[in-house]
Amino acid sequence: MINRRHFLTTVAIGTASAAALAACGNGSSSSGQTGSADNPVTINYTWWGNDDRAERTRKAIALFESKNPDIKVNGNFTDFAGYWQKRATEAAGGGLPDVMQWDLSYLRDYGQRNQLLDLGTVKIDTSAFEKSLLPSGQIKGKTYGIPTSTNAFAVYYDPAKLASLGIAEPTGKWTWSEFQAFLKEVGDKGNGTLYGSTDFTGVWWQFNIWLRQKNIQAFNSDGKLGFSKDDLKTWWNLNAKLRGTQAIVPEDRVTQLKPKSPFGSNVSAAEVTWDNFMAGYLADSGAKQLKLVPVPSDDPNNLGLFLKPSMLMVASAKTKFKDAAARFIDFMVNDPEVGQIFKTSRGVPASKTQRDGTTFDGADKLVVDYEKSIEQYLKDAPEPPIVGFGTLEASFGRIASDLNYGKLTVDGAVDAWFKEAEDLIKQNA
Amino acid sequence: MTQSPTLSRRRGHSGTALPRKSRQRGADARAGYTFLLPWLLGFIALTVGPMISSLYLSFTNYNLFEPPKWIGFDNYATLFQDERFLQSVGVTLSYVVFGTPLKLAAALAVAMLLNSKRRGQGFYRSAFYAPSLIGASVSIAIVWKAMFGDSGPVDQGLSFFGINIGGWVGNPAMTMPMMILLTVWQFGAPMVIFLAGLKQIPGELYEAASMDGAGPVRKFFNITWPMLSPVIFFNLLMETIHAFQIFASAYIISNGDGGPAGSTLFYTLYLYLRGFSDFRMGYASAMAWLLVIVVGIITLIFFRTSKSWVHYSGDAK
Repeated sequence: MINRRHFLTTVAIGTASAAALAACGNGSSSSGQTGSADNPVTINYTWWGNDDRAERTRKAIALFESKNPDIKVNGNFTDFAGYWQKRATEAAGGGLPDVMQWDLSYLRDYGQRNQLLDLGTVKIDTSAFEKSLLPSGQIKGKTYGIPTSTNAFAVYYDPAKLASLGIAEPTGKWTWSEFQAFLKEVGDKGNGTLYGSTDFTGVWWQFNIWLRQKNIQAFNSDGKLGFSKDDLKTWWNLNAKLRGTQAIVPEDRVTQLKPKSPFGSNVSAAEVTWDNFMAGYLADSGAKQLKLVPVPSDDPNNLGLFLKPSMLMVASAKTKFKDAAARFIDFMVNDPEVGQIFKTSRGVPASKTQRDGTTFDGADKLVVDYEKSIEQYLKDAPEPPIVGFGTLEASFGRIASDLNYGKLTVDGAVDAWFKEAEDLIKQNA
Repeated sequence: MTQSPTLSRRRGHSGTALPRKSRQRGADARAGYTFLLPWLLGFIALTVGPMISSLYLSFTNYNLFEPPKWIGFDNYATLFQDERFLQSVGVTLSYVVFGTPLKLAAALAVAMLLNSKRRGQGFYRSAFYAPSLIGASVSIAIVWKAMFGDSGPVDQGLSFFGINIGGWVGNPAMTMPMMILLTVWQFGAPMVIFLAGLKQIPGELYEAASMDGAGPVRKFFNITWPMLSPVIFFNLLMETIHAFQIFASAYIISNGDGGPAGSTLFYTLYLYLRGFSDFRMGYASAMAWLLVIVVGIITLIFFRTSKSWVHYSGDAK
């Protein structure tokens, strides 16, 4: 017979450790609100990001509390993916934190469903903001989010890697085919040790910029798709000849490297993405210097570029402390000392007051200079994308990845994405 | 007191002072239910309640923000036109069909090895059981991912033998074998149960068989298998149900998206993505209930067919 006592002990230990592990997984979300006007009120603030951002945010909160002794801020953070799942359950239970860091992709999901406070009804100073930027946080005339900072799309490259292959640095004045020729040259000379970049046609925002270069809006004002299947076919066919060559990082490598990017892992020499990724890329790759140039365009006068709020500050529609929430948001977006704390790690500060009060050097200066250099090409930022956009953006990348795995043809991929998009738009109509 | 309570109660049946005994039984029952109450309340509030509400939600369009809208069987109907859903069913079925028997075979083989009398057997038993204790944890999935990645130990080990398949994690054809290996490696729980079952088989049967000249294979199929069949049945049932519910390891290994190319898009992972990423809670609820029903049917089939191959001691056979 199996020894009963040993068996039970084993089971007990197993159960106990399982319980302990489960306990570790529990996130904390204390409310801790004391609510009279004489005593300090406590507001909850939540954001996504890594430890670096957490440390900077804690500094900013401490500064805010010292300047506003009547308000206490209770901070809390998670990573990006978990962030939205947590907000969804909180919103369903009516318990969103008072103030939150927000992403453009999810502004409509929550704003249009009355989860966010109309910040036009409270006192936040937006006089130092570019007029063209503010509409990004607005839906149907109501302001749901205030941008903390901006980012723009760019082509990153590693000058040292290009030099080692004997390839001249790009100037940023290039057509799509010149850009592709550049990737091909890197791939050919890199010969398996260094690829050009990831398949840039898999990046939603790059597609969006390409559409803008052709004067097509991705979404029209009634929340429908503004482009046709043929547009997407043309886009995905653009790289048809490059897929499977050394110009593009093989998809299995891309998958294996996650959550790091191939560019950050020194597998490719270039990448198209947002300019505020600079600090992250530098840390991941250990490169001495990375440079930024504008994205390619066949029309040299229309690069399709725009400044997007890299993140926004929003408040819960149900907050009991509207005034305190507004003062905290105002402080986070406008105060020069906050700019000094974050530098470009949130993007380039959107408020001129904050931007002018911040000194940028090193990599931070490169990002600021890049945004200055493209100023003449910038067009109005797009409206907040449609409800459910976060899902569509994710499936765009996923289907493009299937394309690179050779599981789908371009036509099949276009059909698959349109089916999902139309289904989603119908669901949320 | 030397008598166990069970014994004394059993004796009470044949006794004459029935009223007193039945009153005591009533008190026992009350005490029993009182002790049961905390669990029962939790069960009703945390399991039965949510299950009933999810049944209701499965007939609605519910995005977590707005009140659910009744749409009848629409969710269930759309399921079968959803290619991602069908893909998730395929992935899960291949995992259940290949993973479960392999895991049970490994568990039984190791249990038989550990059943023999040998020095340090206690150590081996603990060592083989350990993976199951930590197996469901997040850390193991992360370790697994690193082991099977590009230039990971598995890739390097295989290259040594001239097999170059590169990293398994990024290769859609290799992720399923990797997931199956992960579950097979966690054979500890069924192994312990097999071991307990093996200990119950009287040694005389093997002795008698040896006298009649039966070899090990014969002994396995004519003694071990039939004597162990109730335990095999129990393990098969539990592990099959368990395999349908795989989530955490797939979530971690695929970075939560079921990739590469949908090859780890397990049923529960897709359910989760639908509910918490796409905010389609009604759809996710319908998926959950479909899974309950399908697992229920499979369990029923197992019970029906068990009559032909499971032997309980005391059966007429």
